[in-house]
Amino acid sequence: MTSYPVNEFGPLMKGLVIGGVGILHVFLAQFAIGGGVLLFAMERRAQRGDADARRFVDGYFKILVLVSFVLGALTGVAMWFTTIQVGARTIGLMIDEFHWLWATEWVWFSLEVVAGYAFYRFGPTLSDRARIRLLGLYAVSSWMSLFWINGILSWQLTPGRWLEGAGMWAGFFNPSFFPSLLFRTAVALTLAGLVSCVIINTMDLDRARKQALISRAAKFATPIALMPLLALWFLAVIPADSRAWLLGGSMPMLMFVGVAAGASTLIGGYVIVGLVVKRLYINAATALLLLALAFGATAAGEFVREGARKPYTVRGVLYSTSITPAEVAGLRARGAVVDDPYPLRDQHRYPNDQLVRGAKVFRSLCDACHTMAGANGVQHLVATWTDDQLRLNIAKLQRTKGFMPPFAGNAEDVEAIVQLLKWERARAPAIWPMTTPPAQVQTWLDEAGIHPAPPLEAP
Amino acid sequence: MSRVWLVLYLATWVLHFVLVSYVLVGSGYALGQSLRGRDDDPLAARIRDLLPFMLGCGITAGVAPLLFLQLLHQERFYTANLLLGPRWGAVVPALIVGFYALYLQKAATTPRWRRLALAAATGCFLFVAWSWTELHLVMRDTPSWVAMYAAGERFYGQSGVLPRLLLWLGVMPVLFAGLAAWWSRGAERQRLAVVAFVGHVIAGVAVAWLSARGSSVDPVARGWLYLLIAAVVIELVGWGLVLRRPDGPGLTIVTGAATAAMLGLAIVRESPRLALVTARPAALEASGVWVFAITAVFAVAAIAWVVKTIRD
Repeated sequence: MTSYPVNEFGPLMKGLVIGGVGILHVFLAQFAIGGGVLLFAMERRAQRGDADARRFVDGYFKILVLVSFVLGALTGVAMWFTTIQVGARTIGLMIDEFHWLWATEWVWFSLEVVAGYAFYRFGPTLSDRARIRLLGLYAVSSWMSLFWINGILSWQLTPGRWLEGAGMWAGFFNPSFFPSLLFRTAVALTLAGLVSCVIINTMDLDRARKQALISRAAKFATPIALMPLLALWFLAVIPADSRAWLLGGSMPMLMFVGVAAGASTLIGGYVIVGLVVKRLYINAATALLLLALAFGATAAGEFVREGARKPYTVRGVLYSTSITPAEVAGLRARGAVVDDPYPLRDQHRYPNDQLVRGAKVFRSLCDACHTMAGANGVQHLVATWTDDQLRLNIAKLQRTKGFMPPFAGNAEDVEAIVQLLKWERARAPAIWPMTTPPAQVQTWLDEAGIHPAPPLEAP
Repeated sequence: MSRVWLVLYLATWVLHFVLVSYVLVGSGYALGQSLRGRDDDPLAARIRDLLPFMLGCGITAGVAPLLFLQLLHQERFYTANLLLGPRWGAVVPALIVGFYALYLQKAATTPRWRRLALAAATGCFLFVAWSWTELHLVMRDTPSWVAMYAAGERFYGQSGVLPRLLLWLGVMPVLFAGLAAWWSRGAERQRLAVVAFVGHVIAGVAVAWLSARGSSVDPVARGWLYLLIAAVVIELVGWGLVLRRPDGPGLTIVTGAATAAMLGLAIVRESPRLALVTARPAALEASGVWVFAITAVFAVAAIAWVVKTIRD
């Protein structure tokens, strides 16, 4: 088992760090993908004599390049670097398994960039035939990069028959591959439609001509009507425990599902009833507001997708603690931190070796999802627990909360982290007694076992 | 399979390095000309015009070696990332600022704004070059990892980083000049030849500095070192020909020799890490190589078509 050094982000939970970068990247990348399809269709219209559509295409493409090619591409690189910070073993596993498909995705992305820049720079001087072909190549390439990355990401939640040894393609075309792909395609088209409403408002046209363009662009946002069905399809294919966790098992997750659904409904209602059926005019401020709502929906949706995987980062293969299920038994025997070569950076802070061990256990087993007293702070979560409750709930972690992994340490580790939590609760006094774990702790660990907790059967 | 990864890593790294060399040195050259009041220099104008495009291509090309590096040296790369932590992560915001600064310098209507934008971009790209050099050395220095982590040290020993960085900063002007010369003629090519000679001098100083510190080339790569030396000599001859007859065959000689030199340099650079490659069974058994190969062939054809289309 490879041990990596661990960085802390102060009061920020690691999930917030990766979430922040990830949501921005997904939003920009989906905008670029939908933009490609929209521009292709608008260019076709322009070539049938619509001069405003031509002006729109050339104007929109500049925005696409400035925003998506710069921020979108670089936040993609940032995703790799941030994922390494948060879960190096997870990204390593994904790279090992899917590197040729990732390389394939890179080839499509490269093609997207070449076609995009060629159009950006030479588009106005090219023939109609060359323009439409370049835009077609750009649109296909950008959607293909979504196609490949979608298989890798959806594999994390639903590896499907890959878990039974059916091979990489079974993992790639996993149960949530198609609902995810179609859902993201619908989101991409919706975002492109909304951004175009903002851009059309900046064009030097009279209101009637702007309205005509808006009506055409808004049609690209209509796939949002399919999103409820696609979301239901997605929910139907994810594991039952993840589904239960999203639909009531966890209040925060349910709220995020609600935010995503609510924001999408508002956008969908406005687009379909207002812009498409009633052919209303939309000004830049309202379009920006809808775009902000779409960002909120994307953020909530990505949070739900990430959260649904718990207690894993790759379902059945790697826990969020970067420990595999097969390694838990060994860590139960040897201790959680015996293989960790990295000392604490603030070792001098702790008055005895047991607390040092507790801090190392916290770093190894808790730090991926919790802080001590910041976001998702353990101090807040256990503030009212008694000593024995602490021992029981930590030893039987996967029973305490079904979305937590089994505790990957021995009885001494449980006691060390219990003492650490008590010491922090007591505001870190200079003297703290060493304790030995009560015999009951080992019994609780044995009762909990080393596997995730299945729901208990009704009596 | 790890040999295939290595070949792809080296090939894509060279491509990335050539493109970012153009960007870093091109930004510096344009800044220098602007500070000298020569904003109307046609060569500088042409370089400025291409900078955002070249950076876009350079960053895109850089994603591939980043992928193959994770296959060849996964544990080392991830550990170095984690040890340098937020300081390493700062390369992304630096690239974003640098990228937008390149667009800004194109749109600038006054020399002052252009200089500011070019200075910001050059600074950002220098920071990225320094960070990569540092990361590379941290990756190799396993014995220092635990102490570095314990001390919370975010900077690796600069005495090793600086001569190495200087070497790359010497190679970059040579590549920049070799690329930019294809879009130039006459006196402009001669000026670029001078830039290349300056690059060689800087690289020579860096090699001397590294040698004085006891650095040597891995015996495995001796043959490639000889290729590198021979290629550099031929390349210098080529630049000499460019100085004498700018539109003669000198540039073709330079291009061929520089390509061979980059191949040799990339292998010499990589040789100390060859013994450290750790291929994991899951990665070795991964399928999909044919999908990648077919897609790559299609992409090369498509890019060729794009180039033909815009030239026509």
